[in-house]
Amino acid sequence: MILRVEKLKKTFGGLTAVNDVSFDLMEGELSSIIGPNGAGKTTLFNLLTGHIRPDEGRILFKERDITGFQPDRVCRQGIGRSFQRTNIFPKLTVFENVQVAILSIRRKSRSLFSTASRMLVGETMEILESIGLAEKRNVTAGLLAHGDQRLLEIGITLGTNPELVFLDEPTAGMSPEESWKAVELVQRLARERNLTLLFIEHDMEVVFGISEKVRVMHLGSILAEGTPEAVRADEEVQRIYLAEET
Amino acid sequence: MMSEFLKEMKSGKWIAVLVCVAAFALLPIVLQEGYLSLVNEMLILAVAACGLNLMMGYAGMVSFGPAGLYAVGAYTTGLILVYTKIPFWLALAAGPIMAGVVSVVVGWFCVRLTHVYFSLLTLAFSQIIHTILFEWYDFTRGDDGIVDIPVPSFLSSITHYYYFSLVAICVCLFVLWKIVNSPFGKTLQALRENPERTEFIGINVRRYQLAVFIISGVFLGIAGALYCGFNKNVFPDFADMMKSTEMIVVCLMGGIYNFLGPVVGSVVYMFLDKLISSNTHYWPLVLGCVIIALLIFMRGGVVGFVSEKLAPRGEERG
Repeated sequence: MILRVEKLKKTFGGLTAVNDVSFDLMEGELSSIIGPNGAGKTTLFNLLTGHIRPDEGRILFKERDITGFQPDRVCRQGIGRSFQRTNIFPKLTVFENVQVAILSIRRKSRSLFSTASRMLVGETMEILESIGLAEKRNVTAGLLAHGDQRLLEIGITLGTNPELVFLDEPTAGMSPEESWKAVELVQRLARERNLTLLFIEHDMEVVFGISEKVRVMHLGSILAEGTPEAVRADEEVQRIYLAEET
Repeated sequence: MMSEFLKEMKSGKWIAVLVCVAAFALLPIVLQEGYLSLVNEMLILAVAACGLNLMMGYAGMVSFGPAGLYAVGAYTTGLILVYTKIPFWLALAAGPIMAGVVSVVVGWFCVRLTHVYFSLLTLAFSQIIHTILFEWYDFTRGDDGIVDIPVPSFLSSITHYYYFSLVAICVCLFVLWKIVNSPFGKTLQALRENPERTEFIGINVRRYQLAVFIISGVFLGIAGALYCGFNKNVFPDFADMMKSTEMIVVCLMGGIYNFLGPVVGSVVYMFLDKLISSNTHYWPLVLGCVIIALLIFMRGGVVGFVSEKLAPRGEERG
């Protein structure tokens, strides 16, 4: 077991955004949390990554209590995150985008007088090759096509050498074809690097194809948990998604 | 370390740098003392602006009060030389050290805020420094300033001081150049581009912001101390808004996304200043118009503008 979430709770004013959420993630597992808008998925992510502090409950990563850690410290434990909006460093080159992440995780960022452009070149190029952006290494990241920017975002996350990665709607804003390419890439990377992945998705179709386990969130709680087939057949889940569509 | 430095730059670039330094070194032969002291003033302004730009252009933290730390550097050196018998070199070194110490305190508060709130807090602190220098008459001699600061005799000639500050400035720019190309410098740029993302590659954002605040403060202090030795008089208006504006405009004029932008900016600024003030009393009016033109038409400053015109179109597009 790599992550254990125990009775997590967060309220904003009178609204309970996340209510008594508990689950475990096994090492190497590919799973997802789905749910309609406003179900509390993003708040749950922000709790898990240290952006907000839970009111109650505990988060254990590899049996270490990381509840209340700041995001930079959470990241250093080996937890990566990709963001819902494209979240890169637009004025840096593709190479530098990934390199700053590796420098940080290797604790080299504080170095004041060594020359960055020659450091960790091999490591950076290896990641760029695995996400297919090696040839665009010198391009300013902000000028990349949207799909490539999303790939780069994954590259930055890989740069932090994570064991567990949270992916917040990784295919948002992609064409169906791009979505499948991105999903295949993530699947391949997870296999190669033995990553544990947790997706958040609004769209059921994308994650059902690859998830081993699906959790459905509704009104701040986890409503159902199981294999994609089981969840798809669950009457209550059907009711929520149907209700949202009408 | 020097050969390494040279290797890093493309050969054309370092030849240009050497030619520039050589040209500056030869200036005393061709220039009258009046012009030479103007160039000296310009170079000191360039150091202050480059120090400010490390924080503003590279880390994206816009300070409205850099003159406060500059004045701390200038006054520290000046006060030590006037009140004590401490040697000139130590007094000169004390300026940036004191500016660094003040930066720790000021920065500790300022990095708790972001965007315009950060900027306003830096302004507030520089106003506090200005008020202390202005009102604490017994110690700082208020409005009268500290005058006739003793400087070693071999530095009292304009030419000698020019060479001294030229060396100091080259060293400062070299150190700053190393910093912006270091992992720390790259991390600052990432921080400017996207602080949220930087946090989630494992960077403690506030700590880095405080570090750059202090480093920038030290360079402002160096500029202040150098100017104190150059001018031999220091006044409270070293810390006022006008001086801060001058530094910010110099950065914007040259281009904040280019390392040498502030240097080019200070050349252009001093040139405009002297040209315009010798013809009219309305220099601030013209300055205002220049700022407006810069912000609307030349966001990248002179350097950004020129390199954009020179660059082949669309080459970098992915």
